[in-house]
Amino acid sequence: MQSDPASGPPAHDIAMWGAPGSGKTTLLAALNIALMRRKDDWKIIGSDAASSDYLIERTNALSSGKIFPEASQSLEHYRWTLVGPAERQERRWLRRARPAPPLKIGISMVDAPGGLFSAGPVHTGNGSRVVDDLRQRLMDNLVKSRGLVFLFDPIREFELGDAFDHLHPPLTRLAEKMLEIGELRDGMLPHHVAVCITKFDDPRVLETAEKLHLLDSSPDDEYGFPRVSSEDARDLFRALCEVSASGNADMVVNALDQFFHRTRVEFFVTSSIGFYVRPHTKTFDRNDYQNLLPEAGKELRIRGQVHPINVVEPMLWLGRRLAGGGPR
Amino acid sequence: MSEPDKALLRKAVARAVAGLTATGRLTIVEVAADGMTVFRIHRDDNGRPRCHYWSSSWGDLTSEQGWEHESSRQAVLRAADPLSADEVVLVCSFPDGAEANRALGWLSEARPATVFPSNGPVIAIVEDVLATDPLSRSYDLVVLRADHASGRLRLGSKQLFPIGTLPGTRAEVAVRCEPGDEYGTAFAVVTWQGREPRLLSVHSARITPGRYLLTAELVRPGKVRFTGVPELTRDPRGWSDLVAAAPSQLPPQAGPAHLICAVEVCGPDAKVEERLSRVRQMVSHLSAELAGLLRVSLVAYGAHSYDVRAGGEHPVEVAAWQVAPERALAALERLEDRGAITEGYPYYPHAAQLEDMLDAVARRLPTSDQVRTVLLTVGDRPPHPARTNRSLILPCPRPHDWRSLVDRVQSRPDTVLAAICDRQDASAHPAWRRLGANALAHLDALDVRGLAADLGLAAPATLPIPFPLLDETE
Repeated sequence: MQSDPASGPPAHDIAMWGAPGSGKTTLLAALNIALMRRKDDWKIIGSDAASSDYLIERTNALSSGKIFPEASQSLEHYRWTLVGPAERQERRWLRRARPAPPLKIGISMVDAPGGLFSAGPVHTGNGSRVVDDLRQRLMDNLVKSRGLVFLFDPIREFELGDAFDHLHPPLTRLAEKMLEIGELRDGMLPHHVAVCITKFDDPRVLETAEKLHLLDSSPDDEYGFPRVSSEDARDLFRALCEVSASGNADMVVNALDQFFHRTRVEFFVTSSIGFYVRPHTKTFDRNDYQNLLPEAGKELRIRGQVHPINVVEPMLWLGRRLAGGGPR
Repeated sequence: MSEPDKALLRKAVARAVAGLTATGRLTIVEVAADGMTVFRIHRDDNGRPRCHYWSSSWGDLTSEQGWEHESSRQAVLRAADPLSADEVVLVCSFPDGAEANRALGWLSEARPATVFPSNGPVIAIVEDVLATDPLSRSYDLVVLRADHASGRLRLGSKQLFPIGTLPGTRAEVAVRCEPGDEYGTAFAVVTWQGREPRLLSVHSARITPGRYLLTAELVRPGKVRFTGVPELTRDPRGWSDLVAAAPSQLPPQAGPAHLICAVEVCGPDAKVEERLSRVRQMVSHLSAELAGLLRVSLVAYGAHSYDVRAGGEHPVEVAAWQVAPERALAALERLEDRGAITEGYPYYPHAAQLEDMLDAVARRLPTSDQVRTVLLTVGDRPPHPARTNRSLILPCPRPHDWRSLVDRVQSRPDTVLAAICDRQDASAHPAWRRLGANALAHLDALDVRGLAADLGLAAPATLPIPFPLLDETE
């Protein structure tokens, strides 16, 4: 661990992973907004200028609601660091207590169009060399990181059903690499995986959870938003997989179980934009909660204030798991 | 024939014809110098006197055996057959002739009867009597009687000439003619045999719909001439064909009506213009069809705004309510001049304030009003749901429930729902099928006349009324 939070690499790395358009960038921007609303000093900082600019741009867009972050259309690689609060160490003997260095978690995201690991060509306009380079960098990220955030977009799965297509090839390559460098543990990958079921704000997702009696709410939540606890999130995930357009979503669960220890996989039901709340009531209204507003064409804008749900928790869970397990 | 003899004979024949029953037979035998003529008269199914006659010369009757032989007597009696008649009238126009007297003797012997002298042909007298015979049955015109309360049509008759009417008599009947069938309008005359009508004659013509004062003239027994309508031609149909052609129900009554036109005024300018133009067509058509019986309401609705920072939204606009068509058209003109509204930011692009429009209409509609009310909705966007659902359309800000509002409007007495939707039936939101429950038309293929007929606001052009109509009040 580093003594200076402003310098040195993060102790742990998290890679964000998911089908194109599954909401990776939106989740990042929502994470930034959610962290700024918290009062515990967690923050996210760009690891280079491009990543900082990207985060600022996406965060501003999301908070203003004017332009919804678009799905990735170009090959980009971004890095940020999630910096936690400095914790005071216990006083030992006569030595004065001094703050422990804050926990730092690196977050990397390869923002790429779909099919990066598919057998067919990827049309980027930048040539196959760039694609090979991106593939290598994404694989390096996955190999180096010990935490994965896997985004599962249930609406995309319902309409396209391609989650398995985007999970299985890189997972197989990752296992191959890890086997090669002797990092498989009990035949499993050593990563912790936070599966984020996105778009909880969509009526189709919320209604599914409601039908399964999985909705809960926190008494501390000033808005009274419904939530699905991590214990119940796996059940919701399975229910949503049943309406997959391709019918392959069940293999997503099986692939996760095959490659990762079950104790290292946690499910989170998330929403980057959250539910709509009327400014004058400031309370969740079961009859009127959609926060996405269509505009002419296929554009969408955010109707009210952004209230990210469960976007910090996966990161912190991964951070704690990684910190608890010691440095890699 | 002297005038007294002729008058006497005519009177006797007329009396005998008048006394003919439905099954009776009258035989008149005229004995002349060269032979005899037999007139056999009876009444047909319509009570009209019909006469058949034939002549036989003395030579033909007695040629083989001569007057003295029994066969000649038999031949004379066979030819006249006086025994089969209910009444016999004997006429002698050559009293000095031996043959005539011999034949007259045989006939009188077989069937005693008064012998009337005559010095001219009897046929002229018979023809004159038959042509001027007073009617033995009444002559009725076949009409359709309309009961406007129930809309029922009953095939019936209107008496033209009662029993005893003399030829030359005229009668007038006020009737209404509607578009008829392939024969046009049929003017059929019947007589009655107990409760059974007997068709006497039927003539028809294609007549311009309208009211007519029909004049019927009894030309002679069995012949009625109609004037006051265009020239009629003989119609080949029988009674059963005519009965089959008679409709049992009046076309939907075109009475007082309240037409509520609700128009979606958001969307592309051209679409809005087209919708308003359809409303104009409908109001103009019904205004002409119903004259002073039409009241019109005009309601314009657009899109909701969900951006509270944009300063509220454009509410549903009741541009006219239960006004005369002219005032509604003036209000419509203002909407046409304004064009599309609530388009673009901050207005919702995929639904419209249909549910707010329904609420505005439902609140204004009186519950006690018995006038036929038509809600004609013109547009294509779906309504907003009352609460968030899987349609992903944001809920109505109020929040109105379009289903219960449609139910409320539809449950009013004598209220019908019509819609002109831009989209094909399959792609339209279910709300449009409810809004077009009684008539659903497409914006690009609108038959204004047909739509009005479907809604009971005008008679359909295709329902023929093949007989003159007689209102119960007339």
